[in-house]
Parts: sequence; C-alpha cells; structure tokens
Amino acid sequence: MKSAVPHQVIETTTPNLDGFEITRRPLIGFGLLISSVIGTLAVLIFFGAWASSDRIENRALAAGISEIQGESEWWEDGLVFACPLH
Amino acid sequence: MRNAALWFDRRFGLEEHTIAHYAWVIVAIAGVVQMVGAAIRMAFGVLVDPLVAAFGWTPGSIGLAYALMSIVTALASPMSGYLGNRFGARRTMIAGTVLFFIGMMWTSQTQQIWELYVAYGIVFGISQALLLVPVVPAVAAWFRRHLGLGTGIMMVSWSLGPALVIQVLAVLFENVGWSQAFVIVGVVGTGTLLVILLFFKNTPEDAGKVAYGTLETDNPLITSGNVFISTHKEFQGFVYKTNAFWNLINIHFLGCVGHAVILVGIIPLGISKGLSPLTAAGVLTTISIVSVATRFGAPVLAERMSPKRVMFVSFFGQGVGVFLLLTANTTLDFYIFAVIWAIPYGGEGTAFPVLIRKYFGHTPMGTTYGWQLLGAGLGMALGGVIPGMVFDITGTYIWAIILSAVFSLAGSVAILLLENTRRQLIPNWPEMESKPVGSEIPSVTTGSAEPGI
Repeated sequence: MKSAVPHQVIETTTPNLDGFEITRRPLIGFGLLISSVIGTLAVLIFFGAWASSDRIENRALAAGISEIQGESEWWEDGLVFACPLH
Repeated sequence: MRNAALWFDRRFGLEEHTIAHYAWVIVAIAGVVQMVGAAIRMAFGVLVDPLVAAFGWTPGSIGLAYALMSIVTALASPMSGYLGNRFGARRTMIAGTVLFFIGMMWTSQTQQIWELYVAYGIVFGISQALLLVPVVPAVAAWFRRHLGLGTGIMMVSWSLGPALVIQVLAVLFENVGWSQAFVIVGVVGTGTLLVILLFFKNTPEDAGKVAYGTLETDNPLITSGNVFISTHKEFQGFVYKTNAFWNLINIHFLGCVGHAVILVGIIPLGISKGLSPLTAAGVLTTISIVSVATRFGAPVLAERMSPKRVMFVSFFGQGVGVFLLLTANTTLDFYIFAVIWAIPYGGEGTAFPVLIRKYFGHTPMGTTYGWQLLGAGLGMALGGVIPGMVFDITGTYIWAIILSAVFSLAGSVAILLLENTRRQLIPNWPEMESKPVGSEIPSVTTGSAEPGI
C-alpha cells in the first residue's frame, strides 16, 4: 500500500484557486446566526425576567410590603427592565 | 450460496470495500479518543453526589464546573481545529492527553471549589477540545471516498463511550471512592491514549499510503509543506465568505440546544411524572442505545443521498418528537418516546463532516469543524441550563419541552436555507495538476466514483 508520490512541496502554485473570488457577503448565513443569537437572548431575558419578578413578589409578600417598596438585586431590576413583557 | 453472497456484495456495494486498509485503524483510534475524551464529560452526573457528601458543596455550585467546562471546550474548539490543521492532529491530541492527565489528577485532589473550577472546568475543558475537535477532520483526511462510512463507525463511540464509562465510574466510586476513581481513570485513560496515538498518522501521506477510496485516475492532494499552509490560509479565507460556514455554526447550535434540553431534563421529568430514578435513568440509556443505529446510518445515508435531506429529517424529527413528552405519563409512554425520539436524535449531529466535504471538497476541515463545535458547545451549555431554569420558574417542564422543539425546528428551517450540495462552494482543494513525473499510486484502494448529490 506504499505510495511512491514524492514530497509534494515541489508545487509552488495553487492553480485551482487562482483568480477565484467571492464577491457577495454571506448575509443569509450570518443573518441566520445573528437571528438565533438574538432569539436565544430574548428567551433568556423573558424567563430571567419571569424568575426575577417572582422573586421580587415573593420577598415583598413575605415582608408584607408592596413590590415597589421592596429591595431587589441589580440583575433582577435589569432583567425586568429589559423584558417588555414583564 | 456463493452466488447469493456475490449478489449481496453487489446489492449493498460491499465489493467496493476492504478492511485491509490503515484508514480503519485510524477510525478505531479516533473512536477510542472520542470515548475517553467525552466520557468524563458525560459522566459528570455521577460525580455530584460524592462531592456533596465529601465537601458539603451545593449541587448548583458543583454544576457550575460542568457549565464552565462546556463553555471553555466550546471557546477552545476553533483554535483546536486550527492547531490540528497547522501542527497535525496527532501533536494536538498528545497535548490534549497531557492536559487530560493534569485535569484528572488535579480533580482527584481537589479540596476547594475553585480548584474544581480550574481543574475540571478549564484544564479539562481545553483538553476535551484538543482531543475531540482535530480527530474528526483527521479521519476525513483518510477517506477520499466513503467518508460517510468512516464517520458513521467513528460516531458510534459517542454513544458507547459514555455508557461504558458511567458504569465503570459508578463501580469505582462504590469501591475505592471518587478521588481514587479519578486517579485510576486518569492513569488508564492517559496510558491508553498515549499508546494508541503512537499508531496515529495525520494523513495517508504521512504513513506512505493513499486515502481510502482513491482511484488510479485521482490526482494526489496537497497535504503538507509550505504550499499546504499558505494555500490553506487562502482557502479558509474563502470559506469565511460562504453562507454555509456561518449557517452550519447556527444549525449545530440550534440542534444541540434542542437535544441537550431533553438529555438533561428527561430524568427529572420522568421522576416528576412518578417514574423511579432507576426507571428514568433507563429511559436515557434507551436513548443512548437506540441512537447508535442512526449515528452510524445518518452519515452513510448522507453520502449516498443528500446530507441536507438527512439532516433536515433528523432535525425535524427531533423537534416534532419531543411533543410526545407533553402527554407522557406512564413508564411505557417514556420508553416509547425514547425509542422514537432517539432515531432522529442519533442522526442529528453526525452528518456534518459529510456536508463539509460536499461544500468544501478535500480541504482540511479542522478550522471549519472547530467553529461548528463552538456553536455545538454553547448549545449544549444553554440546553443543559434550560430545564432546571424553566422548572424553577414555572413548576413544570412544559416550557422546556416547547423550547426544545422550537430550537430543533428552527434548525430544520435553517437547513433548508443551506446551499445546494450538488456543487462545491469553492474550487476543489488544490490537487496537483497532474501526477508528478515518475510517480505512481501503485496500490490504489477500492472505491467507486463519487455519486452526484
């Protein structure tokens, strides 16, 4: 099964690529990837805001105060602020 | 009888194949590397309880090590693929083996939680990328044709490795404790990897052989030397400009979120529906076993039919199949789900090398495949978090199941938007224009002309 092919660095040009170029940008592929990233972030923000509002509400109920009066963590405020549905 | 055997050979194309080729040794080595490399990751679940008992750490803080390892592996994957192309898969995997040993020994001696994060999360995470990423492109280099068959056989180890190592670790934990178990698995695993890597050759040319499926009429490929390096950089620059490159990262990400949700969530979901822990674990084992068939079959079919079609069916099936869980309440329901869902799940991730070959020809696919595993790793990390997060918020797994379906079905839509695989996106990886004077390829392997896809 030994091959007698000599060492291949003797070739100094790469003819198959000469003159080849891609002028169009990969908008569809890159756009789909970015769409997935944005969609994933949206899901995480939605569920994160859901969890945050539950935690804030539970703490307020336990303390017998309104949600506005209660203290909350920075990330809880951030997630609730970022989510338009909460 | 002899005529029947000959008919069988012709019917299934077996006359084109031989086992007397070094490519199969490479496939076997790759299978073992994948088994060892992936096994400790998959077996993390059995580590949690012993660490809780030994140190009193919370399961959540221990689970952070797993998440860190998944993310580190994902982020290290593109670099690992590049290193495989640049320095060869063998050297890269030896570096991964050294880190594997360090990670295992350090984890076994862990006393503080930060040590677990560094040893298991970072060291072992990088080790995994160095072991698992370059091995698939290296196998591809050994197949001029019939890559689907080689890939399919290798991918079977994805299922068998974890199943085997989980059992071994469970027995070791019981008999010698978790720390000694990691020492034993680390020493045996490292020794095994070092021995088998002695026999690993990066390319057929390194071994003085020709790739499996090479015909007498095929021109040799440029696989080493300065021209190889400079041309590869130029070629990779073109790859980055294709839609397929970016979309395949996206597809790998979506598919991995889709099945990671189920793989991580199926046991707690089953228990929440009244199944015993042992029965629920049996559902996961059933998925592993049944998926072996399509892990092997999907790349073979992808090469014979169309990788896009095979991948679409797999993603679509994976997405639609999870809806069975919405009505699953009994043990039988869960086992029916396991059998039905495992079929598309097994085929979801194994046809990627064949698809890359269709799009980019015989180019070294390390960097491209490494980027795809970045998407896969991040998808696995996210998918692993979703079930627990959703259950904590909603008190049920319904949203997790729906999200799993959404991610898988989005992946199937993205597959439809991939380019046609009938033609390569970039001119074929440079072949020498003609055979060099005085050279010949005397022992051409078996193989037929590649069918149009």
